[in-house]
Amino acid sequence: MTQRARNWLLLAPAGIWFLVMLIIPLTVVFIFSFGERAPSGGVVLALTVEQYANLPARWAAFKNTMTLAPIGTLSALLIAYPLAYFLAVKADPRWKTILLVLVIVPFWTSILIRSYAWIFLLGGRGIPALLEWVGIEGLRLINTPFAVLVGIIYGYLPLMVFPIFVSLDKLDKRLLEASSDLGAKPWKTFLQVTLPLSIPGIATGCMLVFILLMGEYLIPALLGGGKVFFVGNALVDLFLQSRNWAYGSAVAVTLVVVMLIIVTIYMRLISRLGANREDVSIM
Amino acid sequence: MEIEPYTEVTLTADRKVVAELRGVSKSFGDVLAASDLNLSIGEGEFLSFLGPSGCGKTTALRMLAGFEVPSEGQVLLDGDVVNDLDAHDRPVNMVFQQYALFPHMTVAQNIGYGLRQIRPRIPKLQIAERVSRALEVVRLGGFEDRKIWEMSGGQQQRVALARAIINEPKLLLLDEPMAALDRKLRKEMQIELQDLQRQLGITFVLVTHDQEEALSMSDRICVMRDGRIVQIGSPQELYDRPNSRYVADFVGTSNFFNGKLQGSPEGMSTVLLDNGMQVQGMAGDGLVDHQDVCISVRPEQMKLGHQGDGVEVKVHNRIFLGEHTEYLVSHQTLGDFLVLAPRQADLTEGAFAVGDTAAVSWEATAALILDRN
Repeated sequence: MTQRARNWLLLAPAGIWFLVMLIIPLTVVFIFSFGERAPSGGVVLALTVEQYANLPARWAAFKNTMTLAPIGTLSALLIAYPLAYFLAVKADPRWKTILLVLVIVPFWTSILIRSYAWIFLLGGRGIPALLEWVGIEGLRLINTPFAVLVGIIYGYLPLMVFPIFVSLDKLDKRLLEASSDLGAKPWKTFLQVTLPLSIPGIATGCMLVFILLMGEYLIPALLGGGKVFFVGNALVDLFLQSRNWAYGSAVAVTLVVVMLIIVTIYMRLISRLGANREDVSIM
Repeated sequence: MEIEPYTEVTLTADRKVVAELRGVSKSFGDVLAASDLNLSIGEGEFLSFLGPSGCGKTTALRMLAGFEVPSEGQVLLDGDVVNDLDAHDRPVNMVFQQYALFPHMTVAQNIGYGLRQIRPRIPKLQIAERVSRALEVVRLGGFEDRKIWEMSGGQQQRVALARAIINEPKLLLLDEPMAALDRKLRKEMQIELQDLQRQLGITFVLVTHDQEEALSMSDRICVMRDGRIVQIGSPQELYDRPNSRYVADFVGTSNFFNGKLQGSPEGMSTVLLDNGMQVQGMAGDGLVDHQDVCISVRPEQMKLGHQGDGVEVKVHNRIFLGEHTEYLVSHQTLGDFLVLAPRQADLTEGAFAVGDTAAVSWEATAALILDRN
């Protein structure tokens, strides 16, 4: 067998997977998006942009996704970075592993169950009841964008913590000593050495969380209570409830395109940030 | 085994003292990394801490840098106690073992790092100028915009050096700076470092486990063992007058024969070797009557001659080294030892072959009576 043939063989399983599970379905969705709703539900193939013209009807879902996904990503970053920093730099090496495991532990339980826990916590008999007790009345948390945001941050935090932890953990601690030795105060060492060198971790974490958030369905469904809709919820509704496959396809294609545009801009930005270094690798 | 701390502090010439360790100890948990260090470092001096890994030399350096706080004692810079002064506030700079250059910065940004931390700010143009000058000093002129990973090990070493000296530190600390370089480059770097030190007049403190490096560059060497200073002296002093078997063994090569001191140790004394031979030697300091001692004779102080002229040995191995020939000889009761014969001796008295019988002799003044430790 030639080297070439062997290379193809190695690529074959992943290649076939991609073809069957990604390329073909995407193509089908793309074709559907130019079709029309069949009277009994499903799709009739056609060549019309009618579905795309109807997109503004689902504007709310896009708006929610496009605001809560970035806000959620940013909030997760702001919470995850200090945590990852503590774990990687400050924590006693003997405790490091245990603390890391504690970060993953929530993953051992289904997100469904954890979200239900939040429904209770944010619901009428949870935190609002407690606040009422101290005198703050009439606060509604559940079924608000805030509830969705809390759920998002909670659910995705580990995905943000890990890449940042890895980049901080492999950071040569002597670089920090060198910086201090050259007269930089601790916070300047952080700004000039630690932060720039952890950009790969930040970039990976943000990308991971952001992409997954764009397609999020469960958390808005449970904690948004049908009031805070994401594009994912719109898709479920269109495909399963109203059985308008053509319109659903158009929404899906739009989501993919928007995501691609954002990711491309983001990659450009990051690679410019890390232009003069060899160790920047985004994902 | 109890080693007496070496307390004598001598400074070559009448230099101003820039740094001082006063009874400094450092423990990490139960481990005593440095114990009762006493040392004065003179302005413009090139001082080396020499010892095997784990002897506390790096801990000593790190306490001077401000990365470690002494558990006991005082660290002084320019006469002021600086125990509580953080590394970023000390006028001291370090060249790290693997250089620790910032990978996300260019060569110029790395070198200018120290100057950029100074407040009030130094104008950018002025920093750029000084960076260029520092690069010239380490013979890397024009490398400003290179990336760190584009540089070879030797070049990175020079960048690290430039990054430190640009700040005109009171002390330049070098932590095994040559460890990552190959042998040839190391030799070149040693000479360059010495030149640089003379040229800049900065006080250098080097940490090394390489005796050759310490001997060739230092004004004074501080030999360390198990967290303690064993002996401080110029390379010649340490080589000619080691105060213990440990120093004689670590600084240069020597042959040792165990024995017992006959009578009191005063100048030329007699030692009864374990094999029953009586030999004369120069007694070192700090020995007591009838102490168990050893005799140390450097290989080049031994003379290899024809039979009847010293102790009889058999030539075991012969290594021709050009200007010297190294003979490994064995004596029936003294065991194996090394004799270094100059080329001239080989030429005039004839070289010995493996298996030959020969006689080894030495001057009594070349035999040092030392503590066995």
